[in-house]
Amino acid sequence: MSFASTGSAARRTMAPLVVAAISLALVAGCSSNPGSANKGDGAGGGASGVLNVGMPQGATVKNNSNPLLPTSAAAVLGYRYMIYEPLAMVNLVKPTEPAKPWLASKFEWADNYRTLTLTARDGVTFSDGKPMTAEDIAYSFQLMKDNKALNTAALPIESVTASGKDVTVKFGTSQFVRQAVVLSTLVLPKHLWSAIADPATDTVENPVGTGPYTLKSFTPQTVTLTTRNGYWQDAPKIKELRYTTYSGNDAITSALTSGALEWTYAFIPDAKKLYTAKDPEHNKLWFPANLSADGLWINTTNKPFDNPALRRAMSLVINRQDIFNQASAGYFKPAVESITGLPTPIGDAFISPEYQGKKSEGDVASAKKLLTDAGFTYNGDTLQDPTGKPVTLTMTDPAGWGDYQTTLTIISDNLKQIGIKATPEKADQDAWFTAIANGNFQAAMHWSNGGATPYDMYQNIMDGAGLQPVGSPATNNYGRFDNKEATQALADYANAADESARKAALATLQRIFVEQMPMIPTSAGNYGAEYSTKNWTGWPDDSNPYAPIQPTQVNALDVVLHLKPAH
Amino acid sequence: MKYLLQRLGFYLFTAWAAITINFFIPRLTPGDPVTALMAQYQGQLDPQAVQSLTVLFGLDKHQSLWEQYLSYLGQLAHGDLGISFKSFPAPVSEVIGTTLPWTVGLVGVTTVLAFGLGTLAGVLAGWRRGSWADALLPVSTFFASIPYFWLALIAIAFLTGSGSFLPSSGGYEPGLVPHFDPEFIGSAINHSLLPSLTILVSSVAGWIMSMRNMMVTVTAEDYITVAHAKGLSGRRVMLSYAARNALLPSVSGFGMALGLVVGGTFLVEVVFSYPGIGLELVQAIGVKDYPLMQGIFLVITLSVLAANLLADLAYLALDPRTRREG
Repeated sequence: MSFASTGSAARRTMAPLVVAAISLALVAGCSSNPGSANKGDGAGGGASGVLNVGMPQGATVKNNSNPLLPTSAAAVLGYRYMIYEPLAMVNLVKPTEPAKPWLASKFEWADNYRTLTLTARDGVTFSDGKPMTAEDIAYSFQLMKDNKALNTAALPIESVTASGKDVTVKFGTSQFVRQAVVLSTLVLPKHLWSAIADPATDTVENPVGTGPYTLKSFTPQTVTLTTRNGYWQDAPKIKELRYTTYSGNDAITSALTSGALEWTYAFIPDAKKLYTAKDPEHNKLWFPANLSADGLWINTTNKPFDNPALRRAMSLVINRQDIFNQASAGYFKPAVESITGLPTPIGDAFISPEYQGKKSEGDVASAKKLLTDAGFTYNGDTLQDPTGKPVTLTMTDPAGWGDYQTTLTIISDNLKQIGIKATPEKADQDAWFTAIANGNFQAAMHWSNGGATPYDMYQNIMDGAGLQPVGSPATNNYGRFDNKEATQALADYANAADESARKAALATLQRIFVEQMPMIPTSAGNYGAEYSTKNWTGWPDDSNPYAPIQPTQVNALDVVLHLKPAH
Repeated sequence: MKYLLQRLGFYLFTAWAAITINFFIPRLTPGDPVTALMAQYQGQLDPQAVQSLTVLFGLDKHQSLWEQYLSYLGQLAHGDLGISFKSFPAPVSEVIGTTLPWTVGLVGVTTVLAFGLGTLAGVLAGWRRGSWADALLPVSTFFASIPYFWLALIAIAFLTGSGSFLPSSGGYEPGLVPHFDPEFIGSAINHSLLPSLTILVSSVAGWIMSMRNMMVTVTAEDYITVAHAKGLSGRRVMLSYAARNALLPSVSGFGMALGLVVGGTFLVEVVFSYPGIGLELVQAIGVKDYPLMQGIFLVITLSVLAANLLADLAYLALDPRTRREG
């Protein structure tokens, strides 16, 4: 027996495998991969006309281009907006800017935002060559009205009528605060969709829309779009868009740094070292704030945290810059400095004159004074509530949410300065959600809703309309903040008939927020993205914030139309 | 025959118990698919979408747990695994169908390879004690003792990156269409090299160890001495007399390992973003996709049971002592 003889035995077993592999190659030799032309010159780029987009949505996606389903590949990867277009393009990073007419060449609100009249743009065709008409726009609204499962924004549509080029949509309530949502409605081709048995479960494998792109190929890993003829605007410079799904943020980061990926939205811890420093000239990120606030939500039914003076004192000593630099890697969630909780500069236009420039930061001494004036006392370094009990707080967030856990540690250190023992705790994610909804928590980092006005954020935090007792699940106002004036001001803002009434309501909301601090804002949500300028330039940034840059926002189409080859 | 029927009956009972547990456990955990989906988007999805999603997923109809269980069993009897929430409205069977081949291909082939190589090396190490073959065990055990994800991350850090032949993630080159042609197959093989190498390196030690130890036991038997005395070649004694008998425990181990291919691979797939069923399961759990979780659990359970049944049968054939007469 020798080693060589076992080697020959191994070779014998290998032989059929080799034969099989060769014959396989021969059989397959005559066909070439339908996607191989896609590969072009590897990483894509300006010269080849390809832009590589990716999202961390899991390793595979299922063939589904239904633009109305939030779970479809078209929605999670964001490519639905390259095929289907909205009525108007709303720039949510400049919320006061009027919406850009898109498929509706004109739109007009009447009857205190309860009636919307739209004019269908001339000369727009679907990618199958059929013209887009007012009928298609009316159908797109009618579909939402008739199909509760597809009305993701729960729009209270009462009637839809089309006459000539005009469409009139009537709503049950004022849509002032929801204008952006209404105008972002995607227009579907009636002649194809009316033949679909159930639009809520159809996977629309051959999507037809008015957009500049059509679906070229779909694989569980990559969806490829290509430009079409006959787009109603100037054709985009990017000939082909490739949307790849990655299993998570780690995979995204390595694809970004290797150049395989040029546009994505993902959190990269230590982004400066892991991403931008790898190629400072081309690896860029832009994370503009949106009108929402992340912050420490407090269960206001819990003593002594029902005392606004305590919440205000806590807000005074929390270091938002530390949270931004350490928990958000210095870019992901912009710090909220304004005392009103509104992110700046995006929210500047909404902040009342009395709070303009007022920052939510103070010194420990003024926080302590605020507390002792409100009846709190100090026993050595420990803060005691007016009944003499030491003030302690448990702050809970899911174990896997690293950024929030870091934030809680920072807040815990900050609160120690004013004698509050605040303990960060880790929880199971599902149990945590249930606890938040039921009010079974003392404090937790959580985001707020956002929208085109500060309404969504304040409504989420302060609305008494959906107030639930502790123990019953709430979908709003998790902190159980009970303030009739705030509830009234929110209703006034949403239904106000003129600008001055809205201003007055908003001023009231800000005053209540500042005085009561129902939630302690720390950072803002974002509309950001990581992108590369190596092959394509013309991205929005601070100097030209023409659109939110996230590839899954409707404005992604506007971004793609702005991009030009770098060489 | 009676023995076989007994075994089959036992396996059927186990399958029913597993299906029942699969059904109840996800529902007893807190959380629901709609909030999980909303959480995944962390404020990016319209907050009003809760209502439409509930209707869309059919969760607005209130059914008791018992009714759900009965309708689940009814569906299963028709081979219907339901609709996945995460990839709504894709049927669970389709999701499993696109991911399972990747897992079976990568881990199945690697398991067979590890078994073959490890057993061969174990035979050598057990037969030629005191030679260089003694080094096989400590070296392979060293690699096996490194936690798998760590080994894989180190491999990614050092062996992949820009300019490297080995890709760090995915199952094939982005842009290619899964299709039976050389370009795609080449790309798939290329993408599977590093994951399979790391699995091989970390799992081969077990096979070497069990085979070597059995060889050591077997070589002390009288019939080996007799075989030598008959003047048979060393190779023939090693393979046909010693290894053949030493192989028995490894065969049942191999049956177990094959059964666990589907379920025990999520670490590989998570680290390498491999589009297999393990990664799909991790994500299904994350978003409370009950039908998908149940479907994958079912596939895992059935494959473990099937592999065990096969190992039972193989043992029955290989070892006469397991057969009872009469």
